[in-house]
Amino acid sequence: MKFRIAFVLIAAAEACPSLAHAAEQATENRGSWFDLVFYVINFLLFIWIIRRYAGPLITGFFRDRSAGIRTTIGRAQSALDEAQQLANHANEQIARLEEERRQIASELSEETIYQTGRIYDLANEAAARIRRDTDLTAAALREAARRRVREALAAAAGGLARGLISRHFGARDQKRLLEGFIDKLGQEARQ
Amino acid sequence: MKTSKVAKRYARALLGLSPDRGQLEAWAIELDRLARIVEAPEIINMFASPQISPASKIEGLGKIAEKLDLSYPVRSFSAVVARHGRIEDFAAIADAYRRMLDDLMGRTRATVIFAEEPSDEDRARVHAGLEAIAQKKVIPTVKTDGTLLGGVVVELEGKTYDGSLATRLAQLQQRLAG
Repeated sequence: MKFRIAFVLIAAAEACPSLAHAAEQATENRGSWFDLVFYVINFLLFIWIIRRYAGPLITGFFRDRSAGIRTTIGRAQSALDEAQQLANHANEQIARLEEERRQIASELSEETIYQTGRIYDLANEAAARIRRDTDLTAAALREAARRRVREALAAAAGGLARGLISRHFGARDQKRLLEGFIDKLGQEARQ
Repeated sequence: MKTSKVAKRYARALLGLSPDRGQLEAWAIELDRLARIVEAPEIINMFASPQISPASKIEGLGKIAEKLDLSYPVRSFSAVVARHGRIEDFAAIADAYRRMLDDLMGRTRATVIFAEEPSDEDRARVHAGLEAIAQKKVIPTVKTDGTLLGGVVVELEGKTYDGSLATRLAQLQQRLAG
């Protein structure tokens, strides 16, 4: 504290030599050598004081500042290197991605060709199957219709036959049928 | 199956009551008459009803037997059947008795269905033919059925001999239909 108060007083005296000089002028008015010497001594004293007390601070300040700037430069350099590496990596990635894109596009193209062919084959198979099924269904329908017609004709013929028989069937016919039946019974008995 | 076994057991018991075949034949006719009455829907429903006591059922069957003027053994037999709660099996018992009696007598039964009323000669010829097949006496039950159109159908010992025109027509119709 004392050092600081002394430093401020000396600095003030050195900074304002005109005040001391004015005081001296009031008592005596001497030649300019004295002034010169006074000013030189004063200046040297000022330099000494500055060198003695402010020098280390200024030197330290600039040393610290220099170290800070060097650190900052080093950090910026490493950041720059890192950024450069990242940029290189990114470029490599982009190149690889581009290669991958080309590969995927090529694979997709091959897959599309394969799938198109497969779908085409499947469609052909399905069409053939549908054609076959249709033929079978048509044949079955044709056969069913034929059968229905035959059944209808047979039923009509049966009905007609029944009508004719009931109209014209006589005792002689019954006798003939019985003869046949009795013969059949006889054959059965002989077996 | 259970009813059939039970019916056979009762039928065998009745058959064993007399060595006289003539009497056994008479009992068969009486049993058939009683079975036909018991089989009538209104009577069988009454005997099957749980609302009527067993004693009333026995009494009722006794009265029917009395009205039909059945012989004492058949009346006693029906009373035993009723006491054992087997009135509903009466028809099966009568049927089993008839079959067993037929076996005992060395005869069988046949159903002969003609398309129209047959002459005695036709009956006799068909009868003879059936006896030739069965190799034993055949008791035919003759019926007529106009739907046969012509000919005759016979059922003998579980086998059907079909000489009807209706069947021939049906076969022809089937052949035509393919």
